[in-house]
Amino acid sequence: MTKLRHLVWMVTAVIGLMLSTSQGFAQSPDADEPGRVPDAGYQLDPEWQKQVVYYRTTEAPGTIIISTAERHLYLVQGNGRALRYGIGVGREGFQWQGLLNISRKAEWPDWVPPPEMIARQPYLPRFMAGGPGNPLGARAMYLGTTVYRIHGTNQPDTIGTAISSGCFRLVNADVMDLYDRVPVGTKVIVRQKPQL
Amino acid sequence: MRTFRGGLTIGLAVAVLVAAAAITYERYDTRTLKRTQRRGEVLCGVNKGLPGFSIPDDKGNWTGFDVDFCRAVASAIFDDPSKAKFVPLDASERFKELQNRKVDILSRNSTWSMSRETNYDLYFPAVAYYDGQGFMIPRSRNIDSALDLNGSKVCVQSNTTTQLNLADYFRANNMKYTEMKFDKLDDVVKAYDSGQCDTLTSDASQLYALRLNLSKPNDQVILADIISKEPLAPVVRLRDDDWMMIVKWTLYAMINAEELGITSKNIDEALKSKKPEVMRLVGTEGTYGEDLGLTKDWAVRIIRHVGNYGEVYDRNVGSGSQLKIPRGMNQLWNAGGVQYAPPIR
Repeated sequence: MTKLRHLVWMVTAVIGLMLSTSQGFAQSPDADEPGRVPDAGYQLDPEWQKQVVYYRTTEAPGTIIISTAERHLYLVQGNGRALRYGIGVGREGFQWQGLLNISRKAEWPDWVPPPEMIARQPYLPRFMAGGPGNPLGARAMYLGTTVYRIHGTNQPDTIGTAISSGCFRLVNADVMDLYDRVPVGTKVIVRQKPQL
Repeated sequence: MRTFRGGLTIGLAVAVLVAAAAITYERYDTRTLKRTQRRGEVLCGVNKGLPGFSIPDDKGNWTGFDVDFCRAVASAIFDDPSKAKFVPLDASERFKELQNRKVDILSRNSTWSMSRETNYDLYFPAVAYYDGQGFMIPRSRNIDSALDLNGSKVCVQSNTTTQLNLADYFRANNMKYTEMKFDKLDDVVKAYDSGQCDTLTSDASQLYALRLNLSKPNDQVILADIISKEPLAPVVRLRDDDWMMIVKWTLYAMINAEELGITSKNIDEALKSKKPEVMRLVGTEGTYGEDLGLTKDWAVRIIRHVGNYGEVYDRNVGSGSQLKIPRGMNQLWNAGGVQYAPPIR
């Protein structure tokens, strides 16, 4: 009995360690469908459509504010308004909140699922060139020196949900729109749901 | 002679007492909570039918933002949201009916203004919903600011504050417009839907409701600009401070709960929290509920039965409803809006 309990604890610890050290875990969606080309006619629910909304903030125009609980990304416009995009967020793991900067931007990024991710989802490709079927979608904006990024998706139906592992996903049309509006160096503020 | 005088004195004294009691009754009602508790239900004046705010279905079940607020008050007192009884009231009679004690509370999309407090001896404890006048435009116009509306044909209902606000806004911003006014709201909507106007103006909450009935709702957008102040608030009688405090802190408990991340789903987890702000709200620390004349778990009851402010908003008028009104000004103060509750401390 004690041995069994030990074994259970060991296995749990090992899995926990794997998850916590897994960089790639955060790099891309979990239930990925590499190769799936998104339906161009896919229409987002109004809640997730890009729109100008009332937004009161002391942050300067051009700042990005991400609210993971709301599944919204705001690009501050000043004058009490912001451009709001619907996003998909991480299911777990990414509890970090605070300020980052966009350190690099890439069009149609390649995807290299890290070994930890391959271990969990052995069917994933080892390398996938950028393109419409790539889970990272049309654009990626890298956040500081972290493994997190704001990127597109080949699964528009996951916007508004929490299924990836920490990245912030927008539909391709939106991520392309955002990409053209923000330079490298843009401030990105991440806000999480308060902890009880 | 002596007996006559004595009788007169007693008679006068009684008359004065009765008059004083009558005046006191008339001027001061400080027993709403006691009467509510004795009755076993909260009488709540609501709109007869306003989608998202208060509307009965064919079985007489009420839903809406205003309705849920009353259920929150009933939950705080009775630990039972079904102890809220809804009394539909017309706009013209609502304040009189509250004054005449036909209801304990008015939760009926009423704009808080100074004259309403002073003229009716009423009190608006706190803003439940920040509404205001906005503009709906066809998506194809590709405009995202009301300041781009120069030269527009504007559909508006005549003889309303809306019409006056419209004139003020365009004048203040040096813009021209052609007024397309109609007596009935239905005609305003028809005119817009048939393309007779470039934009339609009304209170934002109403624009979202009207949009549902247009021929192509998805082709319409409502601009983020709000050009007037319409703070919607519950109403109670003036000078019944104990009751007013319950109504006010019911709303503030819901707003604070959202800010602290406490929902109807994680309320049991919140009861185990060691975070001081959470502990004070759920009553594991302090005597805030008792000090209000209620129980320790007053806020827990509200959150468990009705939910926090965001849950109530989303379910009735927000993303989980047909209306899908963005939170806008009604978002919390630290998340882009102006909803702000004083701390429980």
